[in-house]
Amino acid sequence: MTALSAEELLKRKTLKVGVETVSNQQSTDFPGHWPGESHEWDLEHFKQNARVEFVKEVSPLDITFSLVGVDTSFANALRRILIAEVPTLAIEDVFIYQNTSIIQDEVLAHRLGLIPLRGNRDAIRWMKWYQKDEDVPDHEPKNDENCVRLSLNIECKWKEGGLERAKQGVTDPNELYENHSVYARDMSFEPWERQTEKFGEDPVRSSHPDILIAKMRPGQQIELLMHAYKGIGQDHAKFSPVATATYRLMPTIDILRPIVGADAKKFARCFPKGVIRLDKVSAEDEQSHPEECAGKEGELKAVVDDPSGDSVSRECLRHPEFAKKVKLGRLRDHFIFKVESTGQFDSDELFLESVRLLKVKAARIKRGLEAVDR
Amino acid sequence: MSGYTTSGAQQPSTGAAADASTIDIHSRAVSYTCGDCDGDVQLKRGEPIRCRNCGHRVLYKKRTNRMVQFEAR
Ligand SMILES: [Zn+2]
Repeated sequence: MTALSAEELLKRKTLKVGVETVSNQQSTDFPGHWPGESHEWDLEHFKQNARVEFVKEVSPLDITFSLVGVDTSFANALRRILIAEVPTLAIEDVFIYQNTSIIQDEVLAHRLGLIPLRGNRDAIRWMKWYQKDEDVPDHEPKNDENCVRLSLNIECKWKEGGLERAKQGVTDPNELYENHSVYARDMSFEPWERQTEKFGEDPVRSSHPDILIAKMRPGQQIELLMHAYKGIGQDHAKFSPVATATYRLMPTIDILRPIVGADAKKFARCFPKGVIRLDKVSAEDEQSHPEECAGKEGELKAVVDDPSGDSVSRECLRHPEFAKKVKLGRLRDHFIFKVESTGQFDSDELFLESVRLLKVKAARIKRGLEAVDR
Repeated sequence: MSGYTTSGAQQPSTGAAADASTIDIHSRAVSYTCGDCDGDVQLKRGEPIRCRNCGHRVLYKKRTNRMVQFEAR
């Protein structure tokens, strides 16, 4: 196998983004495509090429990073595992003793299930699955290792003198009633057995305490118990650890001919902020591109600063003066991941967990194949 | 959201409702809400349906404390 030039490799992995078309999307680095080239999957090749680059961290729960040098199938497997297969804790059973609010029992239970929970991470990792199979006569009992109990007991009442204020025409519920809004922060953790010690100072609670569960008026009351179990997003979206886990391909912008003067400013406005930088035309530019730059030393010149911020709107291709001077594209093996956690785990922990789960799945397939061979 | 069960077997260990069958059916007072003054009205078997406080004859039955189990789906 002859070594390919870097130029040829870059050409192969760059998608061409035209005015109305995208071409060269299909990857070709698999056996049998290029005559005389192997492209067989190779661990050493993977080790040398695959890498993760952290671009910027907005917050631990919302990270952006690049996964470079892997196939789409690999990046997509990680994305799908993040959404549907990393286990988290969520409310599954709701035992309603009293609910006189206007929210129906079924709807209330559904809303409680969707509340993202957080708590001591080691304790949550320590917890095991709860097999919820009612058909099995002696199915696994609930215990402190598979079931987290929470309660919600709240009653709406008139405030001191609220009735009088209402008669005077006051309508602001904050001045009239106590507990007229039920928030996720009103839920309380009911640890049992080892949970008290395991969760310690970091109890199970909503990661977003301001989530509104229900609204009430004086005399209305909610009294219920909740059981939270571990589950995966495949079963129900409430178990998904991420709000979004997405990737997009790294955009490329190639300025073929210099764009100078007023055009440079217009060109920069075709892209999101920070993508195009405005430099000064140098003496060398005058030499190398006399057609565009002659006598324009010191004027503004458009330079690509950070293509990762581009939304690939293709706005620049709509202007005839730029259409011939710029080439847009995307790198097929550069994935810009964005992982937004719901709060139970940090985004980077979730990504590592997805890698671990992919390894477990691969090992399972390997075992299966070995069994077939035998 | 899916169906609910009222089976006693599913009762969780805390906050269980009182066992109704042990209380004598004739002495059991049921609590209602007055449709006019919003007050609490305790009625026993055979009593006239009337608010003790304001005399209003429309009473609303309250929801019992019986536990109902739901799946949060
Ligand atoms: Zn009355």
